[in-house]
Amino acid sequence: MEKFKYVKPGMSKINAGMPSKFGLPVKQKIISGIDGIPVSALIEEYGSPLFVISEKTIRDVYGEAKRAFDTRYPKVQFAWSYKTNYLDAVCSIFHEEGSWAEVVSGFEFEKALSNGVNGSQILFNGPEKSRDDLIMAIENNACIHIDHFDELYLLIEITREIQKKARVAIRINLDAGIYPIWDRFGFNYENGEAWNAINRIMLAESLELIGLHTHIGTYIMAQAAYGIAASKLANLYMAIHRKFDYWLKYLDLGGGFASKNTLKGAYMPGSETCPSFDDYAEAISNALISSEIPHENLPVLFLETGRALIDDAGYLLTTVLANKRLNGGRRSMVIDAGVNLLFTSFWYNLGVFPTKEMDHAEETTIYGPLCMNIDVIRDAIVFPQVKTGDQLVIERVGAYNITQWMQFINYRPNVVLIDNDGKTHIIRKKESLATFKKVEFDPKRG
Amino acid sequence: MKITNEVRISDNGFVFNSKTGDSFNVNPTGLELTKLIAQGHDFDSIKNIFLEKYDLDDLTFEKDFYEFCALIKHHQITSQEDPLDFK
Ligand SMILES: Cc1ncc(COP(=O)(O)O)c(C=O)c1O
Repeated sequence: MEKFKYVKPGMSKINAGMPSKFGLPVKQKIISGIDGIPVSALIEEYGSPLFVISEKTIRDVYGEAKRAFDTRYPKVQFAWSYKTNYLDAVCSIFHEEGSWAEVVSGFEFEKALSNGVNGSQILFNGPEKSRDDLIMAIENNACIHIDHFDELYLLIEITREIQKKARVAIRINLDAGIYPIWDRFGFNYENGEAWNAINRIMLAESLELIGLHTHIGTYIMAQAAYGIAASKLANLYMAIHRKFDYWLKYLDLGGGFASKNTLKGAYMPGSETCPSFDDYAEAISNALISSEIPHENLPVLFLETGRALIDDAGYLLTTVLANKRLNGGRRSMVIDAGVNLLFTSFWYNLGVFPTKEMDHAEETTIYGPLCMNIDVIRDAIVFPQVKTGDQLVIERVGAYNITQWMQFINYRPNVVLIDNDGKTHIIRKKESLATFKKVEFDPKRG
Repeated sequence: MKITNEVRISDNGFVFNSKTGDSFNVNPTGLELTKLIAQGHDFDSIKNIFLEKYDLDDLTFEKDFYEFCALIKHHQITSQEDPLDFK
């Protein structure tokens, strides 16, 4: 006699007519494939866990952002924020789309050069620029964004020494109504420090001031803050013109646009609450166009948007290792991707989805495989019953994970790009023992 | 382990616990398990019934069975005085 197909016994509590905590219906979303390629095929070929990047999504999202600004402001230039995701293959797509590079270290600077970016199209930010880094930046004609007075004086010293002019901007921190104010970076607007720095630079023969920069924070949910920031930069821009009869080339509003991820503690999903590129563009463009700046002298608007441009393009595919009932009765599961690969799981309630229809959704805790208590990917997510070996997809992980991941306990996994033609390419190879043998030395063994 | 007196199980998979006021949906295999437990079958007997009927190996059954038992116990559908029950 033929036997019946077995289905794991399950039971779920009925919450009659109760909306979820978000007031939204709980409908299980499924991600069975990425850009037309089944998740199972990707894992079969490249292993699990696996980061997957969609070239199509990168270009689509970039196009959307570019259009939002281009239709509102005459001169816009994006500079790809390397720290957000500096895989060469990813940077190259942004550069192909026309992005310059925004870097914050000698390493990122070298990476941008090696990706074929012309030195004059590199914005060099951050408090960590060594003497050698600064010399490299000057030799390559980069835009050096000065962070503090010590750096300003070091630059004056170096440019005298090597007898070369440096093209510089200053980073400005300001009150845009966003708290906390990131006042540890750059020169303060409100207390006059920024104006002092500008005056000092204008007196330095070896420095050419070409722009003003600010970065008011990250995941900024209020577009109005950008309007305030842009107005303050516009005030300085006009003050420089009045005093020195000189027009700067650009105002750089930095990064910070929110991605569609949901912050921990938020009541509504990020996809419902974060402003669109149009909202940000409207706030910034309005502030600049309605400022005192004459239309024919409007500066180029630089943007260093990071997470909002790349989060959606990144997925982490993972496999269920085990199911457990915790003592309190809560269902939990262990997956093969831990917080060491998902730095952003500390900020976001990341979206984790099954790859096929499943039932018996229940509040579940999702743990990573590390032998540590902090390894929690989601502490409470309504999730269907899964089996060992089932594959899951974590979405919106394109930003800050592949740059901030930690090698711990296991090798870091493959990163695969799905190109515009639907072909897959390894763009960062899974580590192996050889990765470690290359950089480790044991004096006992010689 | 036995199903508590306050629990009502309907044939379409609806379970109501009047002690806690909670109601539940069980899937068909879950319903079958619950009924077999209610009828007083022990682990070996339930295992034999399942292995006979379903395309299933004994380890998978054992794992799922104990997980299901933990779940219904958590929802106070069963009470288990002796922690070594079902061993
Ligand atoms: C100077 C600067 N620009 C741009 C970015 C990118 O920010 P986001 O990813 O929030 O857009 C950062 C991130 O910290 C930054 O420090």
